[in-house]
Amino acid sequence: MTARSTTTRYVGWVAITVGGACAGSASSASRSELRTDQSFRSSAGTVAAEAAPGQEAREQVVRGRALLLEHGCADCHGGGPNPAADGYLAGMRSPQMEFLIGPCALTPGATPCFRTRPRNLTPDNTTGIGRFSERQLFNSLRFGLRPGETPDVEITSTTPGQGNFPANPKYLAPPMPWPAFRHMSDQDLRDIVAYLKRGVKPVRNRVPDSEGPPDFWAGEYTPEKIGRYPAPPFPTANEQAPK
Amino acid sequence: MRALLASRPGRTLPLLALLATAGPIGSSALPARLAAPERAGGATGAVARRTVELTLTAAPARLELRPGTATDVYAYNGQVPGPTLELREGDSVVIHFRNALPEPSTIHWHGIHLPFAADGSPFHPVAPGAQHDYVFTVRPGTAGTYWYHPHPHHHTGPQVARGLYGAIVVRAADDPLPATLAERVLVLSDNRFRPDGSLDVRDPNSAGGREDAENGREGDVLFVSGAIMPTLAIRSGEVQRWRVINASAARIYRLALAGHRVLHVGSDGGLFERPVEVSELVLGVGERAELLVRGTGAPGSRAVLQTLPYDRYVPQTRPADWERPRDLLTLQYSAAPPVAPVALPRVLRPVPALDTAQATATRVMVLTQHLINGKSMDMGRVDVSTTLGATEIWEVENLVGMDHPFHLHGFQFQVLDRDGVPEPYPSWKDVVNVPKHQTARFIVRYDDHPGKWMFHCHILDHEDHGMMGVLEVRPDTETRP
Repeated sequence: MTARSTTTRYVGWVAITVGGACAGSASSASRSELRTDQSFRSSAGTVAAEAAPGQEAREQVVRGRALLLEHGCADCHGGGPNPAADGYLAGMRSPQMEFLIGPCALTPGATPCFRTRPRNLTPDNTTGIGRFSERQLFNSLRFGLRPGETPDVEITSTTPGQGNFPANPKYLAPPMPWPAFRHMSDQDLRDIVAYLKRGVKPVRNRVPDSEGPPDFWAGEYTPEKIGRYPAPPFPTANEQAPK
Repeated sequence: MRALLASRPGRTLPLLALLATAGPIGSSALPARLAAPERAGGATGAVARRTVELTLTAAPARLELRPGTATDVYAYNGQVPGPTLELREGDSVVIHFRNALPEPSTIHWHGIHLPFAADGSPFHPVAPGAQHDYVFTVRPGTAGTYWYHPHPHHHTGPQVARGLYGAIVVRAADDPLPATLAERVLVLSDNRFRPDGSLDVRDPNSAGGREDAENGREGDVLFVSGAIMPTLAIRSGEVQRWRVINASAARIYRLALAGHRVLHVGSDGGLFERPVEVSELVLGVGERAELLVRGTGAPGSRAVLQTLPYDRYVPQTRPADWERPRDLLTLQYSAAPPVAPVALPRVLRPVPALDTAQATATRVMVLTQHLINGKSMDMGRVDVSTTLGATEIWEVENLVGMDHPFHLHGFQFQVLDRDGVPEPYPSWKDVVNVPKHQTARFIVRYDDHPGKWMFHCHILDHEDHGMMGVLEVRPDTETRP
């Protein structure tokens, strides 16, 4: 499933001019209730000082690496499917990596037109994700919330203003396929975050900010457009129990 | 005049009557509003101890902020901005604050070194109808330009927007600049009005309110000490001393006076060691600048002081007209022939650099939208705990695409570097603007006054939304837990 087909489904006029197949598989079973694990490192910036990882920590990072590779994160964020490639996960380093979001993607000059620039996902403190806590990054993948603009708290609701879900949520720019990724299990998301925070070397690369509408995409990421998390119980009207 | 200002403990000096502006509010008679105040008396270097006792009343008022249109405001002593407070180093100051507002308030003496109980922080709200005395002594060596404004938790922005802010000038007996220089106090602010003349303070839950929460509230009407596009008089050859205060809630000024290069001589905590010639100057929210404006224009000519475009915004909420320069005031040269140049000192005062080798801790402050280190303000939480007398380095990292002017209460600091570029000369600061995706480091010594001191983004909407924390400075006699 490519980002193109994934995003155009829920962001009506999103089209993408460049970039490849940011795969958005929704492989893991969703949970029946909204619940997250609180076993995060406590705050931003403390993780780098961790002692040498034990076997368990290494296994988690390796699991996260596999998940990251199979979800094609680096196709957009740099390096492609090769962890040894130059610029792996370091974010946009050339204009070719930029996405045009909006009618301008099909008709040059048409508006609105927003540029999405894949972020540096390496744990560099000031240009990457090094200062974001694992919980903030988890919330980013589960709820699509911009990690720099969402408190470092456990979120227990998807209703704005309730259960620590921001009253005015600000979402990651399309085509980041978080509406698909959010259905991964807590453990899978935590593993990905652990890999990004602790299994990747920091690379200093300051990526210009992505553009977007003043509501930070809140109007595009409504339950009507992207469904709910957790997903409705199986089977819906489109589904059937196996015979 | 000296008799008027003599020390008379226990009695209210008629100081405010002297300093209160005479012109009608909203008029462009700026020079009248900013008439050069009485200078520190005499030519002797001795600091005369005196007690300054005055009263500030915050109350609703109806004023013509714009000529011909009445607006309901909050005002200190019936005027916007409030009266300029004239203090001298060494003064014992007692300010009786009367809160005649329908809501709690405080007065924060921005940048002044004073005891915790006098800081007017959210820890000490003054109830509607109540009074509070702010008592402090003006520390020698702190001559400079400061300001005052309310600081109640969650409500600073709306109260400042309604008109509660004013200038403070602290003078030194040994000021190195010629006392003959004409002085102007320029309080920069902006505001926004509805068609009916009322102040446009948006509902936080409206789309516009959310935009204000993001950008900070900016107004399309720019005021200089309460006047719109005033005219300042200057004579060719004359040098004037301008004290500029950014009292706006969110606007960052990029000041340029057409055809002039000015001497930047001081910042938040007073004069530099030497004048620095500049063609423009970025003044972040809450910051101050002392400038020497040299009348290099021809008799009869004029020049406009503008704020040039400055992109402090995230792309999502950047105003469509952000690239438009805005006029602030006209500098009008008289027809009189040039006066002889004034000799200006090349050295102003020593500003000894704090020694980084003395620093015992580095405090990392990660700024994102409305958050510091991922947290929202909690009055019951101490974010940084330290000991009186300690010297520490603060590393303020701005991770997001919007500038955040970072203010520390209680202590003046010295910026060490900005994004790794060493600060070219030491100066005393209480606000450092941290541009988008940049890091600023400063060094501070908690040399007096234990207590709980706020640090926060000075975009008032961000502060009100919780982009603030608490530094507790404990007495050095206390045992660490």
